[in-house]
Amino acid sequence: MGAFACNEFLNRLDQWMEGERPFEARAHFRNCPRCRALVGDLETIQHTSQALAIDAEPSPRVWQALRAQLLEEGLIRIGRRGWAHVLADWLGETFALVPRPVLAGAYLVALITIGIAVSAPAGQHANEAQWIKGTESSTQPLSAQLETAERDTISSLREIDPVVTASLHQNLAIVDNYIALCEKSVHEDPENEVARDYLYDAYQQKADLLAQMSERGDDGQ
Amino acid sequence: MRTQPTLPAPRHWRNGLLVLPGLLLFSATSASADRLVQHFKVEAHPVVTIHNPNGTVTVRAWTKSEVMVVANRATDNVAVDAEQNGNRVDILTRPVSETSAPEDLRTDVEISVPEDAELQIHNDSGGVNVSNVLGDMNVETIAAGVDLEDAAGYLTVKTVGGSFQCVRCAGRLEVSSISGNFRLIDVRSYYVRAQTSTGNILFNGEFLPNATYRLKNYSGVIEVRFSPGDSFDLSATSLKGKVHNEAKLDPPSHHHFLPRFGNALFGTLNSGRASVQLSSFDGTINVLKRN
Repeated sequence: MGAFACNEFLNRLDQWMEGERPFEARAHFRNCPRCRALVGDLETIQHTSQALAIDAEPSPRVWQALRAQLLEEGLIRIGRRGWAHVLADWLGETFALVPRPVLAGAYLVALITIGIAVSAPAGQHANEAQWIKGTESSTQPLSAQLETAERDTISSLREIDPVVTASLHQNLAIVDNYIALCEKSVHEDPENEVARDYLYDAYQQKADLLAQMSERGDDGQ
Repeated sequence: MRTQPTLPAPRHWRNGLLVLPGLLLFSATSASADRLVQHFKVEAHPVVTIHNPNGTVTVRAWTKSEVMVVANRATDNVAVDAEQNGNRVDILTRPVSETSAPEDLRTDVEISVPEDAELQIHNDSGGVNVSNVLGDMNVETIAAGVDLEDAAGYLTVKTVGGSFQCVRCAGRLEVSSISGNFRLIDVRSYYVRAQTSTGNILFNGEFLPNATYRLKNYSGVIEVRFSPGDSFDLSATSLKGKVHNEAKLDPPSHHHFLPRFGNALFGTLNSGRASVQLSSFDGTINVLKRN
């Protein structure tokens, strides 16, 4: 894959995203996994943002990401019926039955997924103030939700095995420290998208960990 | 067919066997005071799920078309339930009483499975060891370490603080942790994604053509070992840490979004057939020659 071809493709990315797809660009797209991955990411962001802006309803991709996370966390399981039914049932019927910390974990995952989608960098020319505002508006609710979930989770956590409980607490402290350092980096350099990615990663890790702890509080194992 | 030989407490196992003879048509159970042995006939590609929160889980492949479960309990305060449902065998250890001390609940489980078995393992503390199993595998632990040897298939491993080691693994590997260290030795995988926050990551394996290797941590050391004949495209970025490289890389032939932040290294070794992506927040990245 020559440098010119990729550069050329990236130079025409705007047109590509608007549906203008000449033969050479399509040929390059077929043969270049990196450019395909980039376009895939941009399409995801585009679709998700459109859905959020117009309908205030996450796109199927967001639901798919949420569903994958819920499956991974064991909060839902695939049955013979489609996942949409399972998820709908889970949301509709068990909302009142599921313990609050478990719900909080799932809710956080959803929030983070949506938060990442809406706060993705819109362009390289955004100014610092916009970056700060954008980052704060997406992270403050997450941070508050995580604090609430942490309180609920810690209070409901049953100590079956002190080794396991100590490990959970120790790793929660590690993730909290990770979040604090990433927040500091983002605050010092608001346009640093790498630091912001690490911050969202850290929030995601905390949500995952709290969900795991919630399950232990729920089933005692 | 469904069998459910359960051993709630050693005093009752004989009664259990008397009640369940019809259900044991394709399985056999024998037990001593703290040891349970069970056999389950299975077909090709069986699924084996193991939930053993406290104690070690050891899984080995053998040539028989059956699953053998050997459970060694610390006390009779813990029950071992093993159940076959079609071509799936579920093994669960659970406390008999809620007041049991953690050390009384320890159970070490050894399982022999056909090599094409699919495994789903959950273990909180203790350890997980799997060798020579070629089916897909999902392992989740809290503090327990996970050691895989000669595994293949789609391998997903998630720990909170447990370490992970994979020797001669193939297939697709996805591993994540918060503070666990990872060692990937003589790996022959076409896709590796390894992410830990504060743990170290060592990759000393083969770089297969068209394969992707993504190693990421927050702090700690990422170390990748290579031979001069290896062929890969390298991208190594540490936002606040250092990047050390011993590979004689050609300038990147492919467009990269050069980061404006941190220390980054991009380049190609030989024809760049594999893709190696290393990233850290404030950890050190070492790309070193293999000894």
